[in-house]
Amino acid sequence: MVTVRLFGMTKMLAGNQGTLSLALPEGGRVKDLVAVIDAAYPKIGELLQKKKVLVSINQDIAHEDLAVRDGDEVALLPPFAGGSEECRTGLPAAKPERIHNES
Amino acid sequence: MSLEQVTEAGRPATDDEAMLVRVQREDFSIDEELRRVRARSKRIGGIAIFLGTARDRSKGKDVDGITFEHYEGMAQKKLREIRERALKDFGAIELLILHRYGEIGIGDNIVLIIAGAEHRAEAFQACKWAIDELKQITPIWKLEHTTEGEVWVEEHP
Repeated sequence: MVTVRLFGMTKMLAGNQGTLSLALPEGGRVKDLVAVIDAAYPKIGELLQKKKVLVSINQDIAHEDLAVRDGDEVALLPPFAGGSEECRTGLPAAKPERIHNES
Repeated sequence: MSLEQVTEAGRPATDDEAMLVRVQREDFSIDEELRRVRARSKRIGGIAIFLGTARDRSKGKDVDGITFEHYEGMAQKKLREIRERALKDFGAIELLILHRYGEIGIGDNIVLIIAGAEHRAEAFQACKWAIDELKQITPIWKLEHTTEGEVWVEEHP
């Protein structure tokens, strides 16, 4: 069994469960996990297929071909929304080489 | 904060460093955090501060409160990565990042970034880069309580 942590909208779509325990075949990969989730929770599955929700393993974003191993910390990550602004600042990208030396 | 936190480079974070990157429920004092940054180096000659607060309107809807949820462990890890890159690549001498979670009232503090550098240019750039990067890579989610119900917010286009 793989325990998958849920946050934000994925938690809501799973009936406010904070975790899912899912049976994954031996040697299963992230894409197999996505298929299992899609079968049980199609709305979350759709977000995973569209890459709006990402899978993380051991706190790093995981590629679909990555193997899921026993004891891995697996989570579904909806789009992040930290801070309070509506979007990036829209200012030119900061580049270290543009720094001048007067204060 | 415990001494168990480890930096990306594998070094244990000192207590001082742990206090510079925090995800916490309680409010923070900008003065106190500013003192913390200033105390890190006497070479700091310019400090830029970004404070994010909870507004009462979002996408045309009235908002009467916000709840932030975070992925404990990964959120702190990403914020530590941002601090380390700000120091390494953006010329900051010190960078503090705090983000609150839990229920936040309208007008209350959400996120604080303080960038200290030798000069203002590096301070502004490190501060701006850090808040933009925070929004891109940090697993924090926002639930807005609006007059029409609760909405999980997707900030990014």
